[in-house]
Amino acid sequence: MTDGKTRYGYKNAISGFFEFPTDNARRILPSHLEPVEVHHGTSIFAMTAFDFDESMVGSYGEVVMAVIVAPIVKAGERLPKSAMYPYQVAVTSKAARDHAIERWHLPHWMEDVELQFVADKGRLTARVRAGGDPVAELSISDHSWAPVSHLYQSFMKDDKGAFQANILMEGGQSEHEEELGKVVLYDHPFNKDLVISEVYDVPFRELWMKEGRQTFDPLITLQTV
Amino acid sequence: MEAAPKKEAGSKPTFAEYDYSNFYYGAGDDPMNLLGPFASWYEEALPNGYYLYSEPVHSAPTSRVRVQDRKTGEVRDLLNLASYNYLGVSYRDEVKQAAIDAVHKYGLGASGSPILSGTFDIHQELAAAMASFKDKPAAILFPTGYSANVGFISALMRAGDNIILDQYSHASIVDGAILAKSKTTFFRHNNPMDLERKLLKCTGKKLVVVEGVYSMDGDVCALPEIVEVAKRHGARILIDEAHSTFLFGPNGRGVAEHFGLDAEVDFHLGTFSKSLGGQGGFVCGSKDLIDYVNAFARSRFFSCNLAPSVAAGLLAGVKIVEAEPQLRAKLWSNVAYLRRRFVEEGVDIGKSTSQVMPVLVNNDARVFAVAERIQERGLFLQPVTYPAVPKHKSRLRISVSAAHSEEDLEFATRAIASVLREEGIVK
Repeated sequence: MTDGKTRYGYKNAISGFFEFPTDNARRILPSHLEPVEVHHGTSIFAMTAFDFDESMVGSYGEVVMAVIVAPIVKAGERLPKSAMYPYQVAVTSKAARDHAIERWHLPHWMEDVELQFVADKGRLTARVRAGGDPVAELSISDHSWAPVSHLYQSFMKDDKGAFQANILMEGGQSEHEEELGKVVLYDHPFNKDLVISEVYDVPFRELWMKEGRQTFDPLITLQTV
Repeated sequence: MEAAPKKEAGSKPTFAEYDYSNFYYGAGDDPMNLLGPFASWYEEALPNGYYLYSEPVHSAPTSRVRVQDRKTGEVRDLLNLASYNYLGVSYRDEVKQAAIDAVHKYGLGASGSPILSGTFDIHQELAAAMASFKDKPAAILFPTGYSANVGFISALMRAGDNIILDQYSHASIVDGAILAKSKTTFFRHNNPMDLERKLLKCTGKKLVVVEGVYSMDGDVCALPEIVEVAKRHGARILIDEAHSTFLFGPNGRGVAEHFGLDAEVDFHLGTFSKSLGGQGGFVCGSKDLIDYVNAFARSRFFSCNLAPSVAAGLLAGVKIVEAEPQLRAKLWSNVAYLRRRFVEEGVDIGKSTSQVMPVLVNNDARVFAVAERIQERGLFLQPVTYPAVPKHKSRLRISVSAAHSEEDLEFATRAIASVLREEGIVK
């Protein structure tokens, strides 16, 4: 990648955005990040499942549990659509996990997970299992489709520091707020950061991208107090 | 893999890609950093539809208004479907004369906070008239409806208390909860079962806040079920009757009276800007309640009181509403007429059962063009889009008034239906 960017191709990327208490969001977030609230006292938990078919480490599946946070805005730079703090990432291969930890400092579930996508009449369901047990099941529906090119920010923090990745998401997109989707979160160590009973299980927004490309700019190291 | 159209990083935001919600949150080293991206976006949003907001009106908000087009500067005569003024009272001769007389007597403004020098005899008369109208022992006035919710909720509730709000609550209710610093939770819109789930998790003081009529969908509060749930869990109930006072119930007191639940609801709040087309807010209740609110509603006592001329006009308006119940009858006849005609024409007005009617376009990209074309056909109304309503739930919001004639409403129906048909939104 001569331009310093890292590219991943995906068949499907589905996200559900769920209301959950800001108290819970703040327990997850490092102190330098601020949760975006959909209502006063209510923040946004996002679950995303990717079906990558092109990358430096081959094809793999990935599930990302994140809190939506305020983006960093700088004069003269493109405004991101939104920003997130992934606090739990899981993938289906060791190579993908090692790559993401080394390159992006993403916090990972340290075992391979099973990720199954099931399509059914305008609906896509992602089922995640870890160690043979169910972890989460995200189901979303489609709406009108349009090609998009959206900039997102992702923030990471580990023992090496705090980081920011600018990510361009390109592909066909369907986005709506029809409240037709659902998430089932199982009582499993994977979900230990969430008070599951306080996550509203119907997404207020459903986002589906397909046949697209995810492009990471080189990682930025942040100065935090 | 099919590649999507590419854009250069650093290019300015495009109108369709962003909305107001993108310019609210932004971390960084300078609070000015959001201004540039917003200005760049707004420059494109304005000619693409946002010019339809804040168009200057050059006449009284009667059923016909003279409106200045922000793009061309032209002033046009339009049928008014945008102003509240549900009873057509604000421009009645009695109301205008009362305000004029008050200006002669008191001058321009109250020149003081209501707890210091800003309470005039006309304010006391208006408060007494409202208490009488609502059949409550006492009432207190606020300079705006917004300050009524902010001031009342934060006067009553504290950190550690629980405020449970309908998810579609007006911003003034949410801001009141924020100022109260109470634990705030939202229940799904008009859903008593979800309210119960939320109440089960609350201990201590609990306040449930609902609205009589919801301003974006025009649907009426499921008050009987909500009252039953709230009472069972020991929660107090505040109803904001901004869009229902003077309209609903045998005496026009509001949705609580409509359902025969006046006594079951603990706190009654409303505004003068909707049905009376004026300004200000009020809370009615026991004398103890009003005395307490007078002492602790910061939005009220740190504001100048309502202008005495406005209070005088409102008092005249209240007297008209009490003396002329036929105004309510005419409004409901108009609402029934317009609803029937919209159904006949296949126009979707969602769940509205009130004088607030959303004409659903359900297309965020096209709602501005639809609104522009409807305005070109002679109607004054505004588009409402995300984030004020959910994505793909864009609409044109109509306010029906007793001042409309059937001819007005027929003209409106035909203009709206024809544009929606031409745009392929109505088949």
